[in-house]
Amino acid sequence: MRYLRLLAVFFRTELAYELEYRTNLALEILQMVVIITTSVGAVLVLFNYTTVLNGWDLGAMLVLLGCFYLVQGFGELVLQPSFEKFMEHVRLGTLDFALLKPASAQFLVTLRHFQVVQLAQMGFGAVIVIAGLPRVSTLGPAEAGGFALALVCGFTLIYALLLALSTFAFWFVRIDNLMAIYWSFLDAGRFPVDIYPGWLRVTLSTAVPIGVAVTVPAQAISGRLDLIGLAVLVGGSAAAFVLSSWFWRIGLRSYTGASA
Amino acid sequence: MSEAVVEVRDLRKTFRVTEREEGLAATLRSFVRRRRRDVNAVAGITFQIEPGEVVGFLGPNGAGKTTTLKMLSGLLHPTAGEARVLDYVPWRRENAYLKSMTLLMGNRTQLVWDIPAADSFRVLQEIYRIPEEQFRRTVGELTDLLELADLVRKPVRNLSLGERMKVEFAAGLIHSPRVAFLDEPTIGLDISMQARIRRFVAEYNRRTGATILLTSHYMDDVVALCKRVIVIHRGQLLYDGPLADLAERMAPYKIITATLHDGMASTVDLDAYGTVVSREEGRVMLRVDRHVAPERTARLVNDLGDRLADISVEDPPIEEVIDRVFSGERVGAAT
Amino acid sequence: MIDIYRALFVGQIQAASQYRVQSVLWMLFSVIRPVIFLAAWVAVANAQGGRVGSYDVRDFAAYYVALSLVSNLATSWNAYDFEFEVRMGRLSPKLLRPLHPIHYAVVENIVWKMTTIIPLLIVLAFVAVTFDARFRTTPTHLVLFVPSVILGGSLAFLGGWVIATSAFWTTRVHAVSTLWDRAVFIFAGQIAPLALLPGALQPIALVLPFGYMLGVPAEILQGAVDVPTAMVLIAVQAVWVAIFYALLQVVWRVGVRQYTGVGA
Repeated sequence: MRYLRLLAVFFRTELAYELEYRTNLALEILQMVVIITTSVGAVLVLFNYTTVLNGWDLGAMLVLLGCFYLVQGFGELVLQPSFEKFMEHVRLGTLDFALLKPASAQFLVTLRHFQVVQLAQMGFGAVIVIAGLPRVSTLGPAEAGGFALALVCGFTLIYALLLALSTFAFWFVRIDNLMAIYWSFLDAGRFPVDIYPGWLRVTLSTAVPIGVAVTVPAQAISGRLDLIGLAVLVGGSAAAFVLSSWFWRIGLRSYTGASA
Repeated sequence: MSEAVVEVRDLRKTFRVTEREEGLAATLRSFVRRRRRDVNAVAGITFQIEPGEVVGFLGPNGAGKTTTLKMLSGLLHPTAGEARVLDYVPWRRENAYLKSMTLLMGNRTQLVWDIPAADSFRVLQEIYRIPEEQFRRTVGELTDLLELADLVRKPVRNLSLGERMKVEFAAGLIHSPRVAFLDEPTIGLDISMQARIRRFVAEYNRRTGATILLTSHYMDDVVALCKRVIVIHRGQLLYDGPLADLAERMAPYKIITATLHDGMASTVDLDAYGTVVSREEGRVMLRVDRHVAPERTARLVNDLGDRLADISVEDPPIEEVIDRVFSGERVGAAT
Repeated sequence: MIDIYRALFVGQIQAASQYRVQSVLWMLFSVIRPVIFLAAWVAVANAQGGRVGSYDVRDFAAYYVALSLVSNLATSWNAYDFEFEVRMGRLSPKLLRPLHPIHYAVVENIVWKMTTIIPLLIVLAFVAVTFDARFRTTPTHLVLFVPSVILGGSLAFLGGWVIATSAFWTTRVHAVSTLWDRAVFIFAGQIAPLALLPGALQPIALVLPFGYMLGVPAEILQGAVDVPTAMVLIAVQAVWVAIFYALLQVVWRVGVRQYTGVGA
C-alpha cells in the first residue's frame, strides 16, 4: 500500500545517511553488545541462586529479556526519533509543513524518522529469545503465530503510549517531564510484570503498558498464553491505538484553532 | 461561478491569548488563575485574486499577514468569514487541495538537516506521488532556475542561509502547485540573494502561471514582484489595488528636488513653492500637493533661472507612503 | 575560597529553583530502577524459602532503599555536561576564568541534592513500608554512614570526571562512559548486594573501585556489615578517593595542554 512505500522511502533515506558514518555505527553496535551482555549477566546473577523466579525459569527469563530488547529496539528504531522530532517541530513551528502534505499528518509525524542501527538491538533481542527457547518449549506454529501477533500488539501499545504523551506538547510545548515517565517505566519491562508490587504491576499493565508489551509475547512463544489473554491483548492494543489517535487529533485541532 | 483563484469574504481570526509561561509548574498555577486577552489578528478582510497574479501583502509585524496566509493555506481555522482557494475550503485540508498548493516560510525549513536536499526531494516525490518523468523534468528546471547543481548533494546543514533558501524553494515547488503562499521569503538573506530569489519568483510565475501570494515587510520584494498590493494593518485591509496607485491614493503629494549652483541650497528661501523637506549637498527637496506640482515646478524653473542646475518631480518613496499609512496619517496637501 | 563557594552557592540555588519541578520528577522516577531489582530479588528469595545467602526479603528491602538514597546522594552527571561543553567548544572561556570548572560542578551537585532530598525520603519511606524493610542499623552505623557516603560520592564524582576528561582526546566519550556506567551497574551494587555477587565476580568487585561508590555506603546504612568491617571499608574508600584525585590532577593537566595546544 501507499503508506508502506512511504515507510520504505523514509527508511532508505535514513539508512543511506547512517551508512556514511561507519565508525559511529560500529561503536553503537559495540555499546549495544556491552549493555545487553551485562543485562544478561544480571539475569544470570539472579539465577545463580534459584532455578525459578515467580514461575519463570532461566530459559523463560531469557526469552523475556529478548522480548524486552525487541520492544525497546522497536521504540528506539522509529518511535523515539520521530516523537523527539515532533516535539522539536512544535517548538520551532515547523509542524505546519507536515500538516500541509497530502498524507495523514499522524503518519508523517510519528513514523517519519528512523534510527536504523536499532535494528541491531532488535536483532540481539531475537538472538536472546532463540537462546532461551530450547530450554522452554517446542516451537510450533501456534506459538510462533501467537508470538508475532503479541509482538505487533506490543509495538502498537508502545506507539499508543508515546502518541498520547506527545500530544501534550500541543498545549505544554516542553514535555520532557512527561517523557521521563516513559523512560523510567520502560526499564521495568525487563522482568515479568507479576513480580512487582500491586501499584507498579497495575501501572505497567494499563497506564504505561510496557510490562504487557513485553511479558505477553514472551508467554506466547513459551506456549504459556491462553487465547483469552491474547484476545484481550489484541483488543486492548486496538483500543489504545484508536483512543490515542483520537486524542492526537484533538490536540491537532486545538493547534489549528479548529475547536475555538 | 467565478474564475478567481482566491476568494476571501469577511475573514476573521481572533486569538484568545492566555498569558502563561511554558512548563508544567507554571501551567498548574494557571489552572487557578487565568489571564486572558482577545487579539483580533484578522478583523474582517475581503478580496479576490485572479489566476496568475502575483499579489503582495504589506504590513508591519503583527498586522495579520501571516495569519491570513495560514488561513488561506489551511493551517488555521478562521473565527468567522469565508475563504475559498481553487474552489476548496482550505482548512478542510483535502488531499486534492494540498497537492495543488504550497506554503513557503522564510527562515523555516521543511528539509531534514542531515541529509542532502536531493534525498528530501525523493521523499517529497513519494509523498506527492509525482510520476518519475515529471519529477525529473521539474527538478531539472528548478535546478537550472535556482542554480542548485552543486547544492543538492550536500547535507542541508552544510549550506549557507541563502543556499538553504534556494533549496527550500525547490522543495516547496517540486509538485508544481498552482498556488504558492510565500511568507517572508527573503527574510534574513543578503541583498544579492534577495534579488536572485525575486528574479526566480518572477520567472516562475511567468513560466508556470502559478498564482502567488507573498507577504513581506521588505518594500523591495513587493516593488520588484507585485503589480498589485494589499495593505493590512491591525487586521484590517487598508488598501487593495495597483502598487503604482498606492502612492497617489495614500500620499497625494509629489517631491520636487531642485539642484542649485554655488551653495545656495542652504540659504535660498523657497517657502512660497512648497514645504521644504530637506536641504543637503546643493539640493533642496520640496513637498508639494500633486495637483499643483506642475504649476509650482514651472514657477520654480522660471524664478530661479540659471541658479537652477537640475530639477526633478517624483512620487514620494513608497516606504514613506507605507510608513504614513501605518502611522495612521493620511497625508493631505502640503501648503 | 569560602567566599567563592558562598557566591557559587547563591548562584546555583537561584538557578536550581527554576528546575525544581523537573528535578523532583526526575528523582522520583530514578527510584524505579532500585525497586525493579528489589522486586526481582524478593521473587528469588521467595522461591528459595525466604532468603538468599544472608539476606531475607526484608533485608533486601532495606538494602535497596539504602542504595537508592546513596545513589541520589552520590551520583553526579556533570561528566556528561563537561563532554558536551568540550565538543561545543564552550570550555575554552571557562578555562580562562581563574576558577577551576570543577568547583561549579561541586556546588551544582550539592544544591541539586539538597533540592531533592526531602521528596526522596518521603518516597523511600513509602517503599520501605510497602516492602516491610528491616534495617539493622545502630547509631554507630549512622555515624559511620556520613563519612562513607561523602567518600563514596566523591569517588563517583572524581571517577566520572576522569572519564569525562577523555573528551580532551576523543569525540567518542559516549562509548567510554557507557563502559564505565555498565561497570558501575555490575560492580557498584545495583544488580545485587556485593556480598551476593556469585563466583569470581565478588573478589573482582572488592578490588575495583565501583563498589566503594555506592555499595559500601548502602551496606553501612543498612547495617549489613559490623562496625569494625565498616571502618576498614571506609579506609579503603579513602584510599580510592586519594588515587582518583591524583589521577584526575594528572589527566586534567595533560588533557588541558593537549586541548589548548590544538587551539580550540
